[in-house]
Amino acid sequence: MKDIAEQEVIDIGDLDIDGFNAFALEQGWGDGMPLYPPTEAKVAQFVDTVRGDNRPFAPVPPRQIVPTVQALAANAVMAGCKPEYFPVVTAALRGLLDPDYNLHGNLATTHSCAPMVMVSGPARQDLKINFGSNCFGQGWQANATIGRAVGLILLNVAGAKPGEMDRSTQGNPAKYTFCFGENEEENPWTPYHVQRGFALTDSVVTVMSGEGPHNLNDHGSTTGDGLLTTFAGSMATPGANTIYGKGPCFVIIGPEHAATLARDGYTIESIRDELFKRSRVHASRISKENQETYISTGHKPDGDWFAIARSPQDIHVTVAGGPGKHSAFIPSFGGTTVASVRIAR
Amino acid sequence: MIATETFRPLVLAQAKARKVEPRLIIVKHPIGGLNAQELAERIETATKELAEATGK
Amino acid sequence: MRIFNPTFGLSAAGGETMALKPVNWKSDAIALFSNSKPNARELLDGIRSKLGAFRPVENINFVAKNSASQPAPKDLIEEVAAKYRGALLAIAD
Repeated sequence: MKDIAEQEVIDIGDLDIDGFNAFALEQGWGDGMPLYPPTEAKVAQFVDTVRGDNRPFAPVPPRQIVPTVQALAANAVMAGCKPEYFPVVTAALRGLLDPDYNLHGNLATTHSCAPMVMVSGPARQDLKINFGSNCFGQGWQANATIGRAVGLILLNVAGAKPGEMDRSTQGNPAKYTFCFGENEEENPWTPYHVQRGFALTDSVVTVMSGEGPHNLNDHGSTTGDGLLTTFAGSMATPGANTIYGKGPCFVIIGPEHAATLARDGYTIESIRDELFKRSRVHASRISKENQETYISTGHKPDGDWFAIARSPQDIHVTVAGGPGKHSAFIPSFGGTTVASVRIAR
Repeated sequence: MIATETFRPLVLAQAKARKVEPRLIIVKHPIGGLNAQELAERIETATKELAEATGK
Repeated sequence: MRIFNPTFGLSAAGGETMALKPVNWKSDAIALFSNSKPNARELLDGIRSKLGAFRPVENINFVAKNSASQPAPKDLIEEVAAKYRGALLAIAD
């Protein structure tokens, strides 16, 4: 008889929901929260939603397994997704499998990175993905379960078992789920997926290996210039991987901050340029040993200043959230890229 | 391969996925953050294990 | 109840375990391959010095990938495979 790991379909007898959860946790399939059983009937419903997308998946590192659609659907079912969320999950996985995303490094690292999943376009409305108040928080089934499904796929298909192939020193609550929508309706500039070359009517998933959102609180500034001073000062962190990993980051601007910046004539491009210039970290804030390491690995300072990105284009800017004077900075793992994939619907 | 004892499961899991059987030299964790005196112990252990593994 | 296995997939690696080529560690050219994390180079440097007690070290050379967070480029791995008989990797800390 085959080992359970080698069986595509497993007969678990007459287990109830508690029995299934005990079985699943024993197999190492869970993230610690309750799971739904991925029955044949339920998985079939999910697979039906991606019938039109027959492109094979690349092997998923570090385990180097080519997943079946059914195995991916099983994870989405266990996460509590509705069937119609599944094309978002598979599109996110395609983004994670972009070679420049460096999934192997992201999963095996000691850094706390988690897959940030941002959804743009009509799918946000159709699937009720929260892009307004509390968009990074709790309360929306789509946000909660799409992000969770991606996490379960990384655990079960990629093999990123904490303490084994996932070597994160402290982890990050975003590893449970990190999915939100872009607030296109209150974005005074171009929606992010259109910035990336997609049509306004496309639904797109964007993934980045990110830390959790770092809050950018500014209730006092009344000008765009003032807001950028606060943003850049908060981004200039010597403890971020990007100080030496030199990768992308996101600045997710709250709608009220966005309105102020737009009123004062700032564009996405000028915001990027200003943040790049102003978010450099002075050498006096970096230990001598770290400076030597950064320089020896090719991350030379400009005078006494260390940049947190390779160029302004590494600073990705869009709008999400609801009323209030808050924005967010999301630094990345560093050695990674931002990948955007159209959702096949 | 030289790995620290803490990271041995990662190396073994990845080697299994790639169907390779690396020869491992295991030293105490960590390597990063050690001063020269602390690192000398890791160097001593690694060299001794290497010599034994390669039949010096 | 029958369920789909959430871990199921086809192995991308072949069915056979790869065997390592024999290396004469007393004389063959060896690459000391650093993962570019702090102290990896110092660790390998210390080992190289100690190896000098029982073998020539002129053909033991340092190699490093550009970034601790990025995989080693394919051409660097091929270069090491072509130039050296063995490689000692400081790989996991």
